[in-house]
Amino acid sequence: MVLKLVKHLSSGVAPYISLAILLLVLAYLLSAATQDSSRLNDLFLLIFGVGIVSLILLTAILGRSLYRLYRDFKNKEEGSRLTIRLVSLFVLLILGSTLIVYGFSMHFLHRGINSWFDVKVEQALNDSLELSRTAFSIRMRSLLRQTRMMSGVLSELPVSDINHNLRELSQLSGALELSLWTMDGKLISSSIENQAIIIPDKPSESVFRQLQQKEDYISLDPGENDRLQLRAAVQLPLKRPFQQALFLHVLFPVNDHLSTLGKTVQKAYTDYKELSYLRKPLVTIFTLTLSLIVLLTVLASIWFAIWIARRIVEPLQELSEGTQAVASGNYNTQLTASGHDEIGFLVRSFNQMTQRLTQSRNATQRSHRQLEKQTNYLTTVLGSLSSGVITIDDKKYLRTANVTSSKILNINLQHHIKKPIEELSSQHQNLQAFVQLIEQQSLLTTGWQQQLNLQQRGQQTLMCRGTPLPNDDGWVIVFDDITTLLQAQRNAAWGEVARRLAHEIKNPLTPIQLSAERLQHKYLPLLPADQSGTLTKLTNTIVQQVEAMKSMVNDFSDYARNPGLQLSMHSIGHLIREVLALYQSNPNHQFTLLNSKQDITINIDRNRFRQVLHNLLKNAIEASENANLQVDIVLSYHMVTHNNSPWLEMTINDHGPGLSAEIANKLFEPYATNKTKGTGLGLAIVKKIIEEHGGNVWAENLDPSGASIIILLPLEDSKL
Amino acid sequence: MVFIMPASVIVKLFYSLGWLILLISPLVHAGNFTITSAQVNKIGNGYVLNANINYPLTPRVIEAIENGVPITFVQQLELVHEIPILGKYWHWKQTQWSTELRYELRYHALAQQYVLLSSGTHNRRNFTTLNDALRALGLIVNLALPPEHLSDLDNLKLYLRTELDIHALPTPMRPGALLSSKWQLASPWVNIKWF
Repeated sequence: MVLKLVKHLSSGVAPYISLAILLLVLAYLLSAATQDSSRLNDLFLLIFGVGIVSLILLTAILGRSLYRLYRDFKNKEEGSRLTIRLVSLFVLLILGSTLIVYGFSMHFLHRGINSWFDVKVEQALNDSLELSRTAFSIRMRSLLRQTRMMSGVLSELPVSDINHNLRELSQLSGALELSLWTMDGKLISSSIENQAIIIPDKPSESVFRQLQQKEDYISLDPGENDRLQLRAAVQLPLKRPFQQALFLHVLFPVNDHLSTLGKTVQKAYTDYKELSYLRKPLVTIFTLTLSLIVLLTVLASIWFAIWIARRIVEPLQELSEGTQAVASGNYNTQLTASGHDEIGFLVRSFNQMTQRLTQSRNATQRSHRQLEKQTNYLTTVLGSLSSGVITIDDKKYLRTANVTSSKILNINLQHHIKKPIEELSSQHQNLQAFVQLIEQQSLLTTGWQQQLNLQQRGQQTLMCRGTPLPNDDGWVIVFDDITTLLQAQRNAAWGEVARRLAHEIKNPLTPIQLSAERLQHKYLPLLPADQSGTLTKLTNTIVQQVEAMKSMVNDFSDYARNPGLQLSMHSIGHLIREVLALYQSNPNHQFTLLNSKQDITINIDRNRFRQVLHNLLKNAIEASENANLQVDIVLSYHMVTHNNSPWLEMTINDHGPGLSAEIANKLFEPYATNKTKGTGLGLAIVKKIIEEHGGNVWAENLDPSGASIIILLPLEDSKL
Repeated sequence: MVFIMPASVIVKLFYSLGWLILLISPLVHAGNFTITSAQVNKIGNGYVLNANINYPLTPRVIEAIENGVPITFVQQLELVHEIPILGKYWHWKQTQWSTELRYELRYHALAQQYVLLSSGTHNRRNFTTLNDALRALGLIVNLALPPEHLSDLDNLKLYLRTELDIHALPTPMRPGALLSSKWQLASPWVNIKWF
């Protein structure tokens, strides 16, 4: 409970408020005391108490402040060193000035109090007291004599007359009071001037003691209101033996003037003596009070110095922390601006600076985001292009490549970004021509356009266009795969030729054949026997040649024909085996079919695929036979994955002489043959049918001899 | 805000002052004054107190008197109704009546006499020697006790003590006197017998 209270009182503003009130009270008391120096005596204890309490409180507050300062300094907090320097400076200043004032004050205090007392004044007071005593002693002696006379008179009288005579004596002597006492303190008789008093003042013990020593008594007595009286006591002379010893006790008045003078002297002397006696404690008290106030002032000033130093350093500390925050990248730092002085101006400037920084950073971020958006937009646009787009920098390093470029070149160009394009040619042999073209053309300074053939999956024709980037910053190269386009153009041209041939030539053939047969039939019997042989031979030649022409025209017709595919699901293995069965009648021919592990079913036009197989097999057999080589044909088929979609790859390998370089490129074009027989349309038809199925076909030479025809057919809609 | 609790602050202040004095007081031993004899006598229907107190003064006090500083002595009387609750260990006490007699002793330089002034009665007595004055001060003769509280004497006790009143000293002397054993002159409470 008490601890809680202490904790509550020692935290927050409670101690400061208490201290402020205490100091106000102290200030009030001090002002009250200084206005009337005599009140200092009364107020001293209160001032001292308030001062001590304030001192304790202030010491606690100061201790706490100093401890915090020390803790901050030890923890190397921001600004603690500057605070300590400021505080030290303030403390030195405070201590210096206060100690000088304190020293002088003490000096003046001692001198001031000591100046109250003067040897001459003291001597004068002593002398005046002595003078008063002497003045009174003269009167006392005469009164003692008077009293002795009265006692002599009384001793002569009988006891019965004493009472009456006392009154007379009283009136005669002007005494205030006359009384007759026995030595053991019994009152015999008395006469009192004041009617109100009945019992006389009993003499004190000292009177009795002195009388017992046979000495008369006379003294100056302070009475009511310090009014002076003279007291005398004289033993009555013993006239008779065994008479009881009596004494006369008389109180004489002192005249008013003398009494007043005596009182004044007495008061002045006593006051001076008391003051002189109190000089030491008074000096001590003043010294204590002054020291207490000086100590309070010093402590309060030190505490205030710490407070001021903290107030001064606080914005600087904040500024330092803020600067560190900005340095570490936090631009949102805002400090609380305080005051209208230079520090406040500094803080406001700092806030403005961080605001500007934040604004500019935000603007940068916005423009960065916009740029990113634009880049994304461009990338999307480039990605959706059917043309391949790549950029290279002035050092021939690949900078960007869109998705289509990777598709066309059949490699992942993203792996080659920020790498020299030479790497492409070294890693991919088939791209050598492409890279060489770019390297050569990029030596130019103007845009260029060139067609390029690449060997991959057959022949690929690219149309490349290069445009220099501004500021000689490299090149942007756009290329299209025009293989299909060229092929389509060629196919269309050939189709047109075939159609016309078929149409123009086929019609007259039948009348020619019929006419020849009719000629033979009609004129053979008419001709002599030696000439009939010639006729028969000639007409047969006509008929045979017409047949051959018909067959050729039929081939053209087939090529030109586009009957539309009749697609249905068929097992590819089954189809191949069906066709092979027709060729196995010749024992010199050897066919091998390498079965795939799984049966592959494909959506295909069965009859046209048969024609493909017939054409290819016939071609292979003819190639081997023409070169007088053993007919040994190997067929195989399996599934491959290409561009993330399944394909059927079928190869037909022969062990013939292989393909010559000149024919290899045009193998699948019409009339591209090195054979004496045939129309040269067999492989062209194969290619046409395969392309109608959405596939591709190409030829490769085998090592060491032989050729391989490779067919790729899409399996997308087919089942495994 | 600042002036909301001045009363509590002043109370606190006095508490702290009190604490200060309490902390200091036990450092010096009280004593020196002794009540040599004290008894209550019955006179007629009433009761009177007769007591003799010895006032040996320290040289410091005598010096102060010689220098004209008036010294105040207090004699305190308490009539307490005591009911034993736990045998002799604990009593329930109720003060029925209490009084204090104050005397001021000072030196009259002109008359060279010691003046003993009773604050209550303004009775003034002069003595040529300090010892006479102290003897007179220590003598309580037939001091009448209030009869209204003496109807039942069972469990009624009269206590007497005396002390030198430091707080009546001139202020400059007070702090020194509060701290000095030479000024801490008092007698313990004494239970007075009934006769």
